[in-house]
Formats: sequence, structure tokens, C-alpha cells
Amino acid sequence: MSDNIDFKELWNRGKASAPDVSEIFAKANRLTRKTRCKIWWSNIILSITILLMIFIWWYYQPQLLTTKIGLILILIAIVMFLITTNQLVPLLAKADEETDGRHFLEQVIRIKHKQEFLNKTMLTGYFILLSIGITLYFIEYVSRGSLLFQVLAYGITFAWIILNWIYIRTRTIKKQQKAINDIIARLEEVNKQFDSPPGP
Amino acid sequence: MVFEDIYRDYWNKVFRICMGYVNDQDLAKDMAQETFILIWRKLPQFRNESAVGTWIYRIASNNCLRQIERNNRMPKTELPEQIEDAMEPDMEWQSRLLYKCIAELPETDRIIISLELEDVKQAEIAKITGLSESNVRVKIFRIKEKLTQKFKQYERQY
Repeated sequence: MSDNIDFKELWNRGKASAPDVSEIFAKANRLTRKTRCKIWWSNIILSITILLMIFIWWYYQPQLLTTKIGLILILIAIVMFLITTNQLVPLLAKADEETDGRHFLEQVIRIKHKQEFLNKTMLTGYFILLSIGITLYFIEYVSRGSLLFQVLAYGITFAWIILNWIYIRTRTIKKQQKAINDIIARLEEVNKQFDSPPGP
Repeated sequence: MVFEDIYRDYWNKVFRICMGYVNDQDLAKDMAQETFILIWRKLPQFRNESAVGTWIYRIASNNCLRQIERNNRMPKTELPEQIEDAMEPDMEWQSRLLYKCIAELPETDRIIISLELEDVKQAEIAKITGLSESNVRVKIFRIKEKLTQKFKQYERQY
């Protein structure tokens, strides 16, 4: 096989007109603003949730301790949910782009594993807290109604909790896991390339 | 170190690395821009511990590896349409064919050969990828062999 192809010459023909440097600055600023906006947005939602809880507490004046605990548990559940869905976690754990390729990939894989674990734990925690919170919160108001109302209220609540636990939770976790596991598998495959010589 | 100088000197180099990785002009341009945004942000902390070129290529190749995490998408392997009309294999055509062949290699091989074609020293390639120098040497030799084979095979086809 002759090696007379000048790859370097061919390679150097690859060129693209560079966008004006101001475009890079503008894009960088846009990205920073977007990240900041995202954080702001989740902060606003969090504040509204907390205000709503305080309002309920103040307006309905719950008598029983169970109602108060219920409210707090629901609040924690919502905060947990917002933290995971707003992807605040990746903002906290970032891979270092200045390191070499091999270490970079190892870092990304480690972060993905953590994210996988966190998603699963957070989602389970969210459902447990929300279910207990709602059950406790209802005790005070349901106990004031007739027996039929009590049976109906608890029946519907528990049916909803069971549906959440078995169907929605399992499905969401499965979906999240699949997406993340596909990426991890792909990253690990590429990382292995560093160890193996190029194939035939 | 002024960002504008880096941008002027390295734009095409970074673009070619991205192009070798994805073989998609628009995507490669986007990726090159992302790389320069990272460089711009990190430049104030750059301490000259490594050569500026090594530092830039590290950021560029790691940003390429990020693609795996983003969309799992496979590199574009078709040649642009107008190429099929070309009667004679001119240099333009061959150049595009080269990028296509590189983008079909395994991910890490794409980065290694791109750096080699960019005339980066093998010791630097070792620092950029995290491989040993001897490993880099062996790999480059084998990748070149594979690339030549692939290139000739396609050349006959088109």
C-alpha cells in the first residue's frame, strides 16, 4: 500500500470563517444570563411554594399537630423535587475541562453515576414525604366529616398514593435510568478505547 | 495572553479538531464556538503550567468528548451532495473525504489523529489525552494505517 496521500495537506484545507470575536462574548454572556435566569426561576417557585404554605397555615389555623407536620413534609417534598428537576446538581458538580481526556471522561462518568443515584433517591424520597404529608394533613379536615366522607376521602387519597408509587414513580425512575445508563455505557465504551490499541 | 490573539491563531485549528470529530460543518462551528467560550472564561485562571496550545487542545478535545453525553449522536458519515457530481477527484473532494474517514474512527482515535495532523508533538498529544507517549506513538501509527486503507477504499467507491 503506498502512503503517498498527504493527509496533512488535506487536513489543513478544512477551514471555516471565524465569527467576529464579539459574537463569542455575546454568546458567553447569553449563557451566563440563562444559567442565572434558571436559578432565579427556581428560587421564585420555591418562594411561592413557601408563601403558599405559610398562607394556608395562617388562614386555616390548623389545630392538630398532624396537620402542621403534614404541611412541613409536603413543603420538603416540593423543595426536593424542584432541586432535582431544576438540575441544580450538575451545576454543583462539574467536570474539569482543563484536565486530560482520560481523567475528564472518568470525572464525567463519576458525576453521571452520582446523578443516577441522586435522581432515584430524591424521587423515592419525594413520593414518600408527599404521601405521608398529605395523609397527615388530611386527618384534621377529614375527621370533621361524616363516616362516608371519611371513607371516600381516605380511599381516594390512598388510591392516588398507590398509583403514584407503583405506576408514576416506577415509570419515571425507569425512564430517567435508561437515559442516564445509555450515556454511562457510551462513556465507558469510549474510555476503554484509551486502553486498547486501535482495532484492525 | 490576550483572548483575541488566541482566537485568531487557534480558530481554524480548533474548528478542524471538531470537524474531524463530527464531520458536520455547522455542528463543528458550534462546538468550536463553545470551546472558545470556555477558553475565554478560563483564561484569567490560566497559569502557564502547560503550554497554551496544550491547554487549548485539552479544552477542545474534552468539549468534543462532551458530545457523547449530550446526544449520543453518531457522526454524519455521508458526503455532501454536490460531491457526487464532481467528475475528477480534486483536492477539495479529497479533503472532505478525509474528514469523513476520520469521523468514522472510534472517538479517541479521532482526537489523536486530528492532533497529529495539526502538527501537535506526540509528547503534547500524550498530555492532552492522558495516554503514555509510547502508547500515542503506536496508536498514531495504527490509526494512520487504518485511515489510509479507509481513504483508498472510499476513493475507489466514489
